Amino acid sequence: MDNFSKIADMPLDFVKIKPEGVSHISIKNLSLCSKQCENKPCTYYCPTGVYYWDDDAMKIQVIYARCVECGACPYGCPYGNIDWRFPAGGYGVIYEYG
Amino acid sequence: MSDDKYDAIVVGAGPAGSSAALTMAENNMSVLLLERGEYPGAKNVFGGTIYCQPTEIICPAFWEEAPLERPVTSEELWLLDNDSAVKIGFTGLRFAKPPYNKFTALRSKFDRWLAEKAKKAGADLVTGTLAKELIYDGGRARNRKAIGVLTENGDRIYSDIVIIAEGVTGNLVETAGLQKKISPDSLTLYVKEVMELPSNKIEERFNLGKDEGAVLGLVGYPSSGAIGKGAIFTNKDSISIMVGAYLNQLIEKGLNPFLLMDRLKKHPLIKRLIEGAKIVEFQAHTIPKGGFGQMPKLFSPGVMVVGDAAAMIVGRRGADLAMLTGKFAGETATQAKAANNFSESLAAYEKKVNSSFFLQDMKAGRKTKDYYRQHPDADFLLTKAANQVAYEYFTVDMVPHHQKIENIIGKVASLQPLPKTIEDIYQGFFHWGVF
Repeated sequence: MDNFSKIADMPLDFVKIKPEGVSHISIKNLSLCSKQCENKPCTYYCPTGVYYWDDDAMKIQVIYARCVECGACPYGCPYGNIDWRFPAGGYGVIYEYG
Repeated sequence: MSDDKYDAIVVGAGPAGSSAALTMAENNMSVLLLERGEYPGAKNVFGGTIYCQPTEIICPAFWEEAPLERPVTSEELWLLDNDSAVKIGFTGLRFAKPPYNKFTALRSKFDRWLAEKAKKAGADLVTGTLAKELIYDGGRARNRKAIGVLTENGDRIYSDIVIIAEGVTGNLVETAGLQKKISPDSLTLYVKEVMELPSNKIEERFNLGKDEGAVLGLVGYPSSGAIGKGAIFTNKDSISIMVGAYLNQLIEKGLNPFLLMDRLKKHPLIKRLIEGAKIVEFQAHTIPKGGFGQMPKLFSPGVMVVGDAAAMIVGRRGADLAMLTGKFAGETATQAKAANNFSESLAAYEKKVNSSFFLQDMKAGRKTKDYYRQHPDADFLLTKAANQVAYEYFTVDMVPHHQKIENIIGKVASLQPLPKTIEDIYQGFFHWGVF
């Protein structure tokens, strides 16, 4: 999220999300990200920055509580390595305007 | 509800699902409308307008009861460059009166209204509940029939027909074996912000009469070289601003949609329109733009697929096609019940879709998509050319007229060969769609 820091209006300040207790997103094969995926596009095309590259752990970290369920990540991943499901009923993003 | 059996279960209370539920309930079928959101509309995003003619098929004179924002009287397409814009526009005051043409709207209100309408007609609406998978009879995989849904709570609810209206993000279409075909070049990803602005300021800035609405389509600058669009919709006391592009192009060009939004809002010609407006909601959603090639199989024994789940998108139209396909499926279900046949008879739904006006457009849309796949810089070059020509044309200078015309042609030709520019205009005409 470093490149968002110059922007005053952060997306998640303006959306209501009720995160469930467990993640509805998982990376199927963690080592694939470090070994084969050069650009790691999930770290930039996700509109709310759910994914970031953890240099110490050498893996993609998933902050599922940031997810607004846009539906892009499973199809955008060049290796089809993202398992994304609907959060449980009533949880996740709650749009009040839409 | 474990012992319940309905005539039909509809999964998803968006425009498609609620229209299907409404149609069936009006025909005295017992209907369960399942919605995973806290309320219908809690998960839903669209650009901004409800179209009158198709919506009247679902609910005549809906504007008298539906929560709408403003009737759109003014439409503009801006070819937006760094510090200039070539504007093509139309204002028609006839659109300010019944039967109107289209209305700006906010989905959380509109979807809730439509679902309530289905409920009033007799459908059971259950919210906050996710349908996990379909339940089948014991038949072989090829011709097994769906006989209900399994919810996340482990409840098995039975029905003769299941209508899948789960939107673009669901996975029931896929798990039902209906061949969901989604690739990043058939999806667009949009982000949107709803910004509060007093109604008098909206009318002043967009040159509108009281309660009239405007839509601005923005091509060129907003998507930063990717094939995409920006748009502004005027609501009653707020404006919706959105920007997005094809997912594969965002990825290839290393673009973040939220940063595109920030960049668009800082454009000098956009900034003055939204000055002082306060963000009240940030949204993001994908759109299944693949057209005919992305359409799944529309039915199988006991199952029909409607709306975004079936990739029913043509140009900027989606919510209306969702409602129409929902109605088609609802009518088919009614006939199926009368015939007591819930398998082969569902082919009637596919026939209705195949003979609709929008299927022709969906088929034609494939060519446009292929064109932009080959020429992803088409909009960018066209916008550049238009703005350079306009600057040259409107600059009062000291050269004779014929020289000026030559200069203009030279400018356009320096960007790319002239025939390609003409082809780009032709394709753009289809791609930008009717604003």
